[in-house]
Order: sequence, then C-alpha cells, then structure tokens
Amino acid sequence: MKKKLVAMTMALLMGAVAVTGCNTTTVEEAGETSEDAGAVESADAAAEEGSSDSFTGNGDKTLNVFLYMQEHEKEIYKKLVSEFVDEHKDEIKEVVFEVTTQDEYNTKMIANMTANDLPDVFYVGPSAVRSYVDNGYVTPLDDYVSEDTISKVWGTTQEIYRYDGKNIGSGSLYALPKDLSCFAFAYNKDLFDEAGLDYPDPAKPYTYDEFMEVCKALTKDKDGDGEIDQWGVANANQFGMTPYLYSNGVKFLNDDMTKVNVANNKQLEEALTFYTNLTLEGVTPTVDQDAALGGYQRWLDGQIGFYACGTWDVAAFMDDATFPYDWNLCGWPVGPSGDGRSHTWMGSVGYCVSATSQNPDLAAELIAKLSTDEEGQKAVSGITTGASIQLPNITDLAYGEFKDAVADGSLPFPSNMDVIFGYFDGNDHYAAALQETDYTYNAEWFDPFWQGVANIQSGDITVADFLSEVEPEMQTALDNAIELQNSATK
Amino acid sequence: MTGKKEKVQMSAMAKREERWAWLFIAAPFIGFLCFMAYPIVFAVIVSMSRWTGINSLWGNLVGFRNYIEIFQDAKFWKSMLNTIIYMIGIPIGMFLGVTIAMGLNRKIPGRRVLTTMYYVPVVSSLVAVSILWAWVFNYDYGLLNSIIKALTGLHGPNWLGDEFMVKVSMIIFMTWKGLGGSIILYLAGLQNIPRDYYEAAEIDGAGSWAKFTNITWPLLSPVTFYILITSLIGGFQVFVEVQVMASNGGKNYSAATVVFYLYEKAFKNGQLGYGSAIAVLLAIIIFIITAINFHGQDKWVKTID
Repeated sequence: MKKKLVAMTMALLMGAVAVTGCNTTTVEEAGETSEDAGAVESADAAAEEGSSDSFTGNGDKTLNVFLYMQEHEKEIYKKLVSEFVDEHKDEIKEVVFEVTTQDEYNTKMIANMTANDLPDVFYVGPSAVRSYVDNGYVTPLDDYVSEDTISKVWGTTQEIYRYDGKNIGSGSLYALPKDLSCFAFAYNKDLFDEAGLDYPDPAKPYTYDEFMEVCKALTKDKDGDGEIDQWGVANANQFGMTPYLYSNGVKFLNDDMTKVNVANNKQLEEALTFYTNLTLEGVTPTVDQDAALGGYQRWLDGQIGFYACGTWDVAAFMDDATFPYDWNLCGWPVGPSGDGRSHTWMGSVGYCVSATSQNPDLAAELIAKLSTDEEGQKAVSGITTGASIQLPNITDLAYGEFKDAVADGSLPFPSNMDVIFGYFDGNDHYAAALQETDYTYNAEWFDPFWQGVANIQSGDITVADFLSEVEPEMQTALDNAIELQNSATK
Repeated sequence: MTGKKEKVQMSAMAKREERWAWLFIAAPFIGFLCFMAYPIVFAVIVSMSRWTGINSLWGNLVGFRNYIEIFQDAKFWKSMLNTIIYMIGIPIGMFLGVTIAMGLNRKIPGRRVLTTMYYVPVVSSLVAVSILWAWVFNYDYGLLNSIIKALTGLHGPNWLGDEFMVKVSMIIFMTWKGLGGSIILYLAGLQNIPRDYYEAAEIDGAGSWAKFTNITWPLLSPVTFYILITSLIGGFQVFVEVQVMASNGGKNYSAATVVFYLYEKAFKNGQLGYGSAIAVLLAIIIFIITAINFHGQDKWVKTID
C-alpha cells in the first residue's frame, strides 16, 4: 500500500508539471506583423542568441536598455549607444544594452513588470500604449523630448504613441518610433512581360474588376500537364486580406471599437466576396495548395504575379539570390464602395522610457538618438549600407537623401517607391492606417475571422452565412479584450 | 524494556552526519518549494483573476469566473476532444510495442541495430522531427503523397490540412515518436519473465497463443501500467507537435490540443488568468485519471512475486 502511495505521488507530481509548465518548449513564432517574412525572420531569430553589451563612462548614472531586433540591426544600434555613452561620458557610469528575440521579448517584459524591475528603455507597440500608461509603466516624454525632434518623424508615428487617458492620438507622447512600416503590393515584371501585359500604373491602382482580369491573364499551366502552375496572385489570409477589404472602405469595428460590425456590413460582404472569388475562380493557389507551400515561397519561386511586399521585405526581394526576378511596387486593388483610394495597413514599434527610471532625462535623450539620429537612420534605411529594411523615421531624410540614393542606384529599391510614400503620407490614390487589432488589447477577436475565411475559399460556406456565423464569436473575444484593457490597476 | 530516560547519545560524528543528511534532504525540498509548490499555488491564485501580467493581480480577482467561462467555451471543449482523440495512439503504440519487442526478444541477427533504430525517434528533438514529419505529410511535396501518387496515380489526402486527416497524421506521428520507448520497456519486461514458466506451460501442452495470453501479457502488465500512466499524462500535455505541424491549430481548430489552447490564451492573447485556469483544470483531470488508474490496478496488474 505504501509503495502504491509513493508511486501515486510520483505520478501526480508529473501531472503537476502541467500547472507549473516545467516542460514548456519554446517554439519560434512568426513575426508579429510580418507574416510572410516570418520564415525568414524566425530563421534569423533562431540563429541569434539573446545578448547583452555594456558601455561604460566616468559618471554615476546607469541605464538599462532592453529591445529585440535582428542581428544586422544590432550592430547599427550598438554603435549608436556607444556614441551616446561617449557624448555623455561624464554623466554615465554604464549603459547595458540587452537584445533578445521578438518571440521571447513579451515573456521577459511580463516577468520584468511582475517583478517591478523595468529597464529604463524598452519597446511599446501601439496596442500596448494604453495598458502601459494606465498601469503606470511608462513616462510621458513631453518634458524630455523637444517638439523639434518629434516633428521630424512621420505624422503617423507622432499620433499613435499619444494617449490622453481615454483615446489614442491626442494627449502626451509616450514613445518615439523605432520604425514605421507598411504592407505594400508588388508584381513580378518578368511574368507580365511573358504574358504581354502592361505593367500596373503606380499612379492609378487597379479596380477590383481590372485586377481580376489581369490575374486571369497571369494564371496558366506553363508545362502543359493539365495543372495550373502559375497564378495571378497569392494572399495570406492573416495579413494579406485586409488591404483588399480596407480598399473597399471596410471597418470591422465601430468608431469606439466596442462593437464588431461584420454580419450586416455590405462593404465587407462585397469586398470579401471579391477576395474569396480570387481563390474560387482559380487565380490564386487553392487552400490545399497553399497549405502545401505558402504564397511567400511560391512568389520567391516565380509562380505568382502579385504578392504583398512589406517595407522590411524590400532588401530581400532586391537580392538576386533570394528573388531572381524583376519586380516593382504597385497599389492594392480598389473596391467600388470605398473612398476610391488604395488602402493598406501600417505597423510600428516605439521606444519608451520607464516610469521608474532614475534618469528619465538621459533615457529620453538616448531614445531620441536611437529613433532620429541621422547616421543611424541612414544605416537602417540602406542609404549608407545598401540594404533597406525600413524607411528612415525622419521624413526629410526619406524624401531627400533616401530618394536620391535610390535614384542614383546606390540603394537597390524598386522604382515605384512613391507607392510606399503614398501609403505613409496619404494622397489622392493611397492611404494607410494601423490595423484595428493595434487598438485593442489583443487580436483574438480577429482570429475567427481570418482563420475561417479558408472555409469560404474552399467552397464550404457562403460569404453571407460566414459573416453572420462569425460575428458572435468575434464579439465575445472583443468584449474580453475590452475588459482586460480596462483592468488597469484599480 | 528500554526506558525512555535512556536518551540515545549521539557522537559528534553522528551529529555531523545528521546535519549533512538534513542538508541533502533540504536541497530537493527547497527546490520543490521554489519550483513546484510556489508556482502551483501561484497558478491557482492567478486562475481566479483577470491578470494579464501588466495589470495588478490583486486588483483583478474574479473568483471562479474563469472556470465558469471555460465550461461554456466551445474552443476549450474542441481542443479537449482533440486531445482525447489523439490518445487512440496509446493502445496502438502498446500493441506495436509488444509485438516488436517480442520479435526483438528472439536471437535474430542485427537486433541491437534494430533496437537502436527504433529508439532514435525517442532521443531526437521533438521540434526537429515535427518539422521533418510536416514535410513527410506535405500535401503536394510530401513523401507520403509522392508514394501514393507513384503507386496509384492519384493525389493523396491533405494530411495536415483536412480536419479528419490531421488527427490521423498526429496519431501516426505520436505513435512513431513513442514506439521506441515502449519497445525498450517491453523488452526489459520480457527478459524478466523466467524461462521456466514457459517450459512448464509447454509440458502442459500450451500453444504460443496460450503462452502469450497466460504468461507473457499478464507478467508484462506492470510495464503496460507504467506506459499507460506516462502516456496518458503525456497525452494531456501535447503541444509542440501541434504548434509546429498545424499552423494556428489546424483548419477550424481541428488539430489544437488543450495545452495549445492554453498557450494561445496565456501568451498570444495575454489572458494569463484564463490560461492558468485551463492549466489548473488540466492538472485536476490528470490527477483524477491517474488516481482512477492506480485504484484500478489491483484488478489487472500482476507481478512475478
């Protein structure tokens, strides 16, 4: 009996592991906003280990910086930190610059918050601004960062990190941007040449109908075996669907982001019908084919006419070893019921200063340097390095030296780069905004939508039925998100 | 009668030894307190809150609300059902394990090599073999469908993309992964059965089936019991396979397990309270099932002595 008891206890302890999570295995997740680049990014992430560098001066102040970034960015930012320490060597005793992977970042930050041991400088994403401010983790930058510095960056990044205690977009500024990105559209010029088609006009994005026609002309069975092996377009539902919908004026949530508006949303029904028809009419790979090999791989392999291109993708697509085809940028197709402009989403992450920092002034100076130092921005945008992973945060630099570098060929970049500028700044043909998930506590409410769209694409459900079925589930998740959003320290 | 007054006098050396003994006991005990007891208590508290890691834990206690919501949560039940369906692989694995172990228990040439081969998946990284098998199961380019196409000329099923086939695929994978372990255990069990039992049975004219059902299988029951317990506990904790092989829990969540759902809730959606409630519930389920197993073992687990 005693033996049995011992054995039972042992077994129960093994069960207890389920609670304490001792055997949790960490697995790389695709990047937060860069779905199609996920494969590339997580390969990077797997290769890099978390690292910590220390820079010392003669003073008595210490700063801890905790960020995530890719390996080649790290070198650029390390140099900036080292310069910063030199510039303030009489004040600074030490700056610890710790970098981890994107996957681990949130977990480590939550651990830091729980332990009440925040670094002086860390990231805040647009969706976290409210929680971080409401719970008192970040300090307003108004007293530390000059209007001059703030006005240098893109309008969007001046807005999305402001919060007045109720709404995003006004009030105090809480972060300076590390980057601003957008999800533009690209086409494979070689396939257009083969099909004898005119290139898309960057000054006039396609309408839905025009786009469908072009895609049909690009879809073919090249080797004559009876199976399609080249498609007009490929779309990843999680990130590559919303630009089509936004370009038809779609909004998933009401203005104060408390109600899901999906079931009786004519603009959405129209846009989603068009989007899923791309698959049902055969101009994208089928759902099964997409599961076998994703659109991103097929695009790199030259099987796809149009594919999404995030600003972070440009360097890879310009590299012949990765993508040996001629390509250029264009706008996402425009639906009949929107504002007539091509829309996409933008993304950003920002540097903030901890509310518990002993040296907020110094920390703020450091983030101003990381965000808007000219040399640093020239390096990450590719002006001096020749590989562009983001546009410069400083608009003057973007419209000036950046464009010049592209024009004189020293920076490989597609010639229709005005598409990206159009999305960033907005004009008669282009507009962009953050995704609605960036304004809610989490993105869970959007999951049933994008994950369920495959059922329409495989012909299992109609658009109208899907929309009315999915709304309650989305609303429940949104209600939860709102509750958590409002659960700041009471 | 030994009087109580006669207190045992410990020598200095014995005292020192005792101190050392306490120290040795303390090490695992402190480890248990820090890494098991504390997290368990903490998880139970968190499970009764809307804690997100960002907000205050004590300001967001909600009693049993998370638990009530879990019972009404269709996604939880779906992932629980998937988890249980995957356990179909346990008896399959046992059957294959016994069969192969009995084969390897004969003096056939190269059996050490074979045993090693069967054991390789057990020691391989789960993430690595999951990625490998995701390719084996790939719809267009996978090994399995290539073979099917070569043999029949037809396109094979969408192993990981179809709601039914993804469960079949997972069961195949998990059985393959765990087979080596049960073979080794059964092999050890077989070698512990005394030869004379069989000789006695042969004298009585028992055939090989009778020998198997009356000697081998009953005497392997402790091994079977051990494999059953560990597989059930492991079966409730399946996560990596799903995370790697089925993107986002598979089509319409058809591949997701409870731990996968827990992970998504806690770490993707920042609902640490809800995630902890799932973890606590899962632990309770494992406790109960393990207890039932131990309670029932007297009925079927036989030992040699």
